[in-house]
Amino acid sequence: MNRFELLNLLQQTIENELVICNIGLPSQELYKINDRPNYFYMLGSMGLASSIGLGLSLSIDKNVISIDGDGSVLMNMNTLATIGNRAPSNYTLLIVDNGSYGSTGDQKTFTNESTSLKNVAIGAGCKNVIECSGEETNENLQKALTDKNNSYVIISKIKSGNVPIKPIPLNAVTIRDRFRKEIGLVSYL
Amino acid sequence: MKISQKIIKNLKSGGADFFLSVPCKLLANMITILENDKEIYYSAIPREEEGMGICAGAYLGNKLPCIMMQNTGIGNSVNSIVSLLQLYQIPVVFLISYRGTPGEPVGAQGGMGSVTEDILNTLRIPMLHCNIEEDLDKISTFTNHAKVIESPVAVLCNFNLMEDD
Repeated sequence: MNRFELLNLLQQTIENELVICNIGLPSQELYKINDRPNYFYMLGSMGLASSIGLGLSLSIDKNVISIDGDGSVLMNMNTLATIGNRAPSNYTLLIVDNGSYGSTGDQKTFTNESTSLKNVAIGAGCKNVIECSGEETNENLQKALTDKNNSYVIISKIKSGNVPIKPIPLNAVTIRDRFRKEIGLVSYL
Repeated sequence: MKISQKIIKNLKSGGADFFLSVPCKLLANMITILENDKEIYYSAIPREEEGMGICAGAYLGNKLPCIMMQNTGIGNSVNSIVSLLQLYQIPVVFLISYRGTPGEPVGAQGGMGSVTEDILNTLRIPMLHCNIEEDLDKISTFTNHAKVIESPVAVLCNFNLMEDD
């Protein structure tokens, strides 16, 4: 299973949860698969999907899912320490770990060699850290979303590879405003 | 403590209700005040760039975020300021302890001190300079201004001002 196939499968589980999606191909694929206003597509700032989702989950009660990548988590690894100490129960970090910088030409990341994000997350203090296959991701995500007392970090181990895709034809403020309308904070759209 | 109390009071009256910090000895009193304030959210975090992401999420959730840091933190955060906060028009108040300004005992702070305002000018980020206690009265309006213009703004607190706290 590659990332496109995994993101497609996740549509069975994700309903009205607020999703912060990683920059580049992950967001472009998600947009192509099933564009929804409760999807916040990152157009810049690689590494911060987990942090944006964390800040959102600390501010509202709804479930928040950050869909991140192994390369991006490696770029902002201190995020796991902050999540380990501060993540509320409505927060889930889903790391799509394909061992590859997919958006830049599938160069290998360190998760392909000696680095285990599961062990890093546990060492950083994260609770409920689950490493699973792409096929097992939906059931674990469902478990995370229905557990009202705990935050989760799910590391979905999949294959690298991309599908041909175009940039997202939405500007950033449009993405922001339709997302905030979904939360109930914007009335002018 | 009097200066720190005034800064926090004015940030809050301007609407700030979500605070993060990366520590600086000049921010120590403010951090103590925030740790004991039940009206707002506060957390220390490991790195400023990550803080820009957390602040962006907090704004999406209807908070007005403030991140407290040394001016060195601006250097750690340039891409996240431009390609997240400014791209999506997200207001965040940067409360900056301005190291390298007169009174600074650590010579090595002079480097980032001398380029901080040039960086902020290049990024077109509005600045409020706080050199004396009376300047702190402008923080409340300036904080609200961030929300109005949907942009990050920077409050720069000089070394001598904070040293007298």
